[in-house]
Amino acid sequence: MSSTPLTPDMAVMQASEPPTRTAAFEKRLAKRYRSERNFKALGLGAIGFSIAALIFLLANMLVNGIPGLQRAELAVEIDFAEAGVTGDEVSLTAPSAMQVLELQGLPAVVEIYAERSLGEEGAEQVYRGAWRDVARALADDPALIYGRTTLWLPASSDLASGLNDEGSPEMQALADRLEAEGKLAKNWDWGFFARSDATSPQMAGIWGALKGSILTMLVTFVLAFPIGILSALYLEEYAPKNRWTDLIEVSINNLAAVPSIIFGLLGLAVFLTVFPNLRSTPIIGGMTLALMTMPVIVISGRNAIKAVPPSIRDGALAVGASPVQVVFHHVLPLALPGMLTGTIIGMARALGETAPLILIGMRAFVATPPDGFTAPATVLPMQIFLWSDEIDRGFVERTSATIIVLLLFLLMMNGIAIYLRNKFEKTW
Amino acid sequence: MTVIHENMEDASAKIKARDVSVYYGDKKAIDEVSIDISPDYVTAFIGPSGCGKSTFLRCFNRMNDTIASARVTGSIELEGENILDNTMDVVQLRARVGMVFQKPNPFPKSIYDNIAYGPKIHGLAEKKADLDVIVEKSLTRAGLWEEVKDRLSDSGTALSGGQQQRLCIARAIAVDPEVILMDEPASALDPIATAKIEELIDELSGRYAIVIVTHSMQQAARVSQRTAFFHLGKMVEYGPTSDIFTNPIEERTKDYITGRYG
Repeated sequence: MSSTPLTPDMAVMQASEPPTRTAAFEKRLAKRYRSERNFKALGLGAIGFSIAALIFLLANMLVNGIPGLQRAELAVEIDFAEAGVTGDEVSLTAPSAMQVLELQGLPAVVEIYAERSLGEEGAEQVYRGAWRDVARALADDPALIYGRTTLWLPASSDLASGLNDEGSPEMQALADRLEAEGKLAKNWDWGFFARSDATSPQMAGIWGALKGSILTMLVTFVLAFPIGILSALYLEEYAPKNRWTDLIEVSINNLAAVPSIIFGLLGLAVFLTVFPNLRSTPIIGGMTLALMTMPVIVISGRNAIKAVPPSIRDGALAVGASPVQVVFHHVLPLALPGMLTGTIIGMARALGETAPLILIGMRAFVATPPDGFTAPATVLPMQIFLWSDEIDRGFVERTSATIIVLLLFLLMMNGIAIYLRNKFEKTW
Repeated sequence: MTVIHENMEDASAKIKARDVSVYYGDKKAIDEVSIDISPDYVTAFIGPSGCGKSTFLRCFNRMNDTIASARVTGSIELEGENILDNTMDVVQLRARVGMVFQKPNPFPKSIYDNIAYGPKIHGLAEKKADLDVIVEKSLTRAGLWEEVKDRLSDSGTALSGGQQQRLCIARAIAVDPEVILMDEPASALDPIATAKIEELIDELSGRYAIVIVTHSMQQAARVSQRTAFFHLGKMVEYGPTSDIFTNPIEERTKDYITGRYG
């Protein structure tokens, strides 16, 4: 080439750098880096937005929910000895203590001392059933009966809203006066976790709903887990690949996508027709939710089984393991973490479900915690749904508090899922 | 069309395959192969990729059963018993014919459990002490005992690639099989680990009938006494390894071993 005379064009060719070192190439390179940076920024933005939304949601819940864990209480000083209420450690802690104290006139005693402590106007705003709280306080500490003591008793919901600067002006004035005297305050209400639904937000609690949720989840787990895992194992390991198994696979995938309320209709039409006496009970609720959870378990179980490397199966078969030994000695232990994670995620979804349970009657007002699988019950999300419908401002706060409890419950279940996955996960 | 060298018909053969064909769906992967496998020698299957040598090897312990579309015809007799028969107990067959795979595949369990698994499921050891003996013997035969005797409870997957493959060989011999099939056992290993595996094959030959599939002609020349050359699903030539490599009869064999294709 050097021997041939240089045309102007070729001179340019000669003078120019190799193609990867030209200005144009560097410009393209810069453009490639720029588009990578832009893409990264977009991704970061998306994550930032979701974190911001999550923080806003949690902060909102906490701000609204913390007052829901407190309640307005009035200080009432009672002298049991002077009032002539008697008892000892045995009688006050006996199951019949409530009736015995009622016969001794405890309700009237509480009213009289409330009037002395708070004045006539204030005494009217002590919650009417407050003497039961007094009886419970005596059962907790029988020594109180020998002397004079100050008990914090729940205020009426009118006075509670007065304390929040809402409701009638008279109530607000009364609340301000009693608060200034140190006789009205918002106290931590641990009883919220021990009581059940009530007509007054002052007396409402979530133990009934929490227990209902636990019982319902137990039924769901006991039904959905074994059926789901066995179906997944059979479909993946034994079922011949033909049109029927394809049909079953498609059906299961579709089942997982069916709106949950449809499962409620199924529960209503089938379970409640067969067991008409079990309306609103955890067993029917659990059965309905199990229908909803099972496809999720089957799908995640099959994926976990598919993820077990074929080389492990071959190795086991080659030393003479029978198919069932391959499954139980090798496939199942390796697939179990994935199966458990899928199960817990499915259960968490069932825990937050309301729609199907409305249809099978779990939206009833249930004032006592369910004492078994066949007792009427409600569940946490249903309690939230029911309270969010109430007019009384106190219920709004209680609703937020319940949402916090539900979220903690879900967080705990996801935590267990992650723990199990890490504990049993093996590498190969 | 198949050239079989003299004296290869063996009355004492461990395995006698007759007219074995393997189909994947409609595709014929192995076409009417007949071969006698001697119990005293290492037999190597060589040939270019996709020639069906691994497929044929997997007939000997019926691992092709795990592939739904695979179908095997003909007969393969192990000591006079046709293993392709429906009456053949596959679990028992695989206890008699062990296998080592291309990629080391130890179970994600301890080294001890990897070896003890086979004897345990077949009930070969009554007491823990018997099992300990089997584990030590198998690991010693596989040349791994000295390296792992102090960490038998470590995971088998924590070993190096070469050690894992020797662990898999130890796992195969723990159930005391009659035949060991090896499907390119050294193709995923470095030269030093490969040399160790080859040395091991040498030591094991005579005790077990060994059939090895290999890509490397040098390996076949080093470890085997019998070689079968496969091409396009057919067995082209079968004879003593030295003859196959120095004096092939078939033109295709000559072309392959001189590196003209494959």
